[in-house]
Amino acid sequence: MTDIKTIWKNQPVEENSMITLSDIRVRAARFQSRIRLRNGALYAYSLANVALTAWLISRGVSPRYTAPGLLLVAAHLFVIWQLWWRTSARALPGDLMARAALDYHRQELERQRGAMAGAWLWYILPFMPGLIWELWLRATLHPANVPPVADRALVLFLILSALFFWMSVWLAFSWAAARLEVRIERLNVLKAE
Amino acid sequence: MGHGMDARRQDDLYLKASAEYGPALDRLARAYEADPSLRLDLLQDIHFALWRSFSGFAEQCSLRTWVYRVAHNVGISGRKRRRRLQLINLEDMDQLPADGTPEEDVHSTQTLARLHALIRALKSPDGQVMLLYLEDMDAGAIGEITGLSARAVATRIHRIKALLARNFRQGECS
Repeated sequence: MTDIKTIWKNQPVEENSMITLSDIRVRAARFQSRIRLRNGALYAYSLANVALTAWLISRGVSPRYTAPGLLLVAAHLFVIWQLWWRTSARALPGDLMARAALDYHRQELERQRGAMAGAWLWYILPFMPGLIWELWLRATLHPANVPPVADRALVLFLILSALFFWMSVWLAFSWAAARLEVRIERLNVLKAE
Repeated sequence: MGHGMDARRQDDLYLKASAEYGPALDRLARAYEADPSLRLDLLQDIHFALWRSFSGFAEQCSLRTWVYRVAHNVGISGRKRRRRLQLINLEDMDQLPADGTPEEDVHSTQTLARLHALIRALKSPDGQVMLLYLEDMDAGAIGEITGLSARAVATRIHRIKALLARNFRQGECS
């Protein structure tokens, strides 16, 4: 009579599962190009915004908004730098994978929670000076050809839209951080058993 | 020069680990992934992560512990990414009725299929403990790989034995 561990250890092995070093190198190249592609998409988004703002400034479309526009460009550049720093300079070492399962997953979750919880500082706050300045300039513009009531309504709409957008971004990050916190707590309970 | 030697050492360690633990990694991938093409993908992910990890291997632990840690971490991460199954704890598994009346002549293929299903249904780290138990590891080694305390591993092994006894023929569970 065969015991269950013997059955387990004698199970047939995949016939085509042999992996050579050249397979590994192909995968390593694919891994690197996937990271480059993901980072490239993030950089492209931010650089498109920078290019658009710079173009508007250079065309002198609204000279009033030049200074806050430059602040927004600086914010985009700061975010690009943060993305680069967080994804390249602090890339995870391969041997992190060799930590005990609970420690590895807690560390992974803590790293993600750190990025989410701190997003207001590195992703939201940099845009605020330029945005608030732009909104203030618009609020004090009072165009002659727009009735005051309509002008106030438009300004209110712009402020509420900006608030809604950035609050949504902040809530999305905070919600993700809170969910990660719950999972970290579960791992802590397991670790303490 | 140093970099070249490091790369050579990394390759050598990987080849050694692959030769020694290849079949165990294959079993692990089978336990984590039912779909054959996803399984092969997972197995390649494990081998790749293992190769990458050896750039930082300085004998902090045994080669076996290192290999199993990497493999399980990749397995768990892959499972999280690939699907959202309703996973359960060992305690809850105890409450479930056994999978039909254990037949006298259960074929080993069916036994394996049921074992795989059990492991896939278990939450982390219960599934990992069961897998390592089946690989014939003792509580100390399982604790080193999973990060659980010896007491927590012992409790889980006790439950696993009971679970296996309920689901498989007496002779198979010795």
